[in-house]
Amino acid sequence: MTAEPGFYVARSLPDALAALADRGSAAIPLAGATWIMRAGLRQQRQHRCYVAISTIDELRNVEILDHEIRIGACVTHAELATSLASLPECRALAQAAAGSANPAIRQVATIGGNLCAQGFAAADLVPALICLDAEIELETPRGSGRMAVDRFLELRTGMEPGCLLRRVVVPRAARRSVHVRLPLRKAGDYPVAIVSMAASLSSDGIVTGATVAVGAVEPEARRWPRLEADLIGRAIDPLHAAETAEKHSADFHGRDGIEAPGWYRVKVLASLVRRAAQAIQGNL
Amino acid sequence: MSWRLNINGEDRRSASDPLTPLVDVLRDEFFLTGAKVVCREGFCGACTVLLDGRPVMSCLMPVALADGCAVLTVESLATDGVLSPLQQAMEQHDAVQCGMCFPGMLMSLTSFLQRTPKPTREDIKAALVGNICRCTGYERIVDAALSVASSG
Repeated sequence: MTAEPGFYVARSLPDALAALADRGSAAIPLAGATWIMRAGLRQQRQHRCYVAISTIDELRNVEILDHEIRIGACVTHAELATSLASLPECRALAQAAAGSANPAIRQVATIGGNLCAQGFAAADLVPALICLDAEIELETPRGSGRMAVDRFLELRTGMEPGCLLRRVVVPRAARRSVHVRLPLRKAGDYPVAIVSMAASLSSDGIVTGATVAVGAVEPEARRWPRLEADLIGRAIDPLHAAETAEKHSADFHGRDGIEAPGWYRVKVLASLVRRAAQAIQGNL
Repeated sequence: MSWRLNINGEDRRSASDPLTPLVDVLRDEFFLTGAKVVCREGFCGACTVLLDGRPVMSCLMPVALADGCAVLTVESLATDGVLSPLQQAMEQHDAVQCGMCFPGMLMSLTSFLQRTPKPTREDIKAALVGNICRCTGYERIVDAALSVASSG
């Protein structure tokens, strides 16, 4: 393959950063390309240049350390599901990666792409990462740094040229987590609504910490603070959790889509919360 | 400005624009029309091919990202005119109607059965989540896949 001005294959992270810096606002990174290749369907123009990063080894690694798990931005959903299968504290992320979209997409789509795909409300990995308090490591022209996933979601539309999401870092903690999604078809598919839940429990089964992230209901995934507050300080009770979710369902404004109306996405949240709480209760 | 592809065992080159979908390269340059263009958004699976042994949606695969890879299309399944066991099972179970989804179905199932030799019915249905059929209702397709798995 020879050089193509609008397409550059980076061989290393410094190479990718240099290529992005050279090309400025004209270029963005390209990994699995599953979102970028649908730009035409979204009536979006493609960029003038893409810097392909999917062959960079350090972006394809999953490092399981004692205190955290470091996931390269180009790790695919399928690779992630396999890597995390034996880690119970990351069950939400493993489930999200194993069940997203469909098998062929999972072979190609990446964790970095799932985070960077703007306008993709049904991204499975995003709520799972939020509920696990994950952070991203971002390379920018001014240096590198970490930030929480939900903070990255706020900033990603206004990022300066030359930025590259390098990896995702998930802290290892004594907690139970689950990723519950409602697809259109029972066997799987893109989700109508997602509830990702993580809970830390005392020795006598009382919830000492809880994070709940809702995805696919609104344009961007986010946490559910009022539900989280109600879960803390009591034993996991799926029926009570569902009742609380029903009571606070107006916290969300469901998006209308071709596959489901907004009111339906909000309506099913209580059931998904009940299922999530049951799953966490079952892990005791 | 060329991309090296090994397609069904043959080394080929394409000079297409780097973001040309692989399905268009296969069909328009190499006349391998088995993979079908339907949704162009990685939803229906009619374009499924194997890339280095993995099932991928060729409508969402830029040809540049397939550079140096081995591509298998539905045309590779039969050997010297003899249908693969999966193809024979589909015929025996009368599983095909219009045929539009079938190249993708066969490629997804060929890869899946290699990795999961003893699947359950639910396993097969999960494996076919990315292959939409509007004709058959899927049950005979699943029956055929199970018959191959049980005989293997």
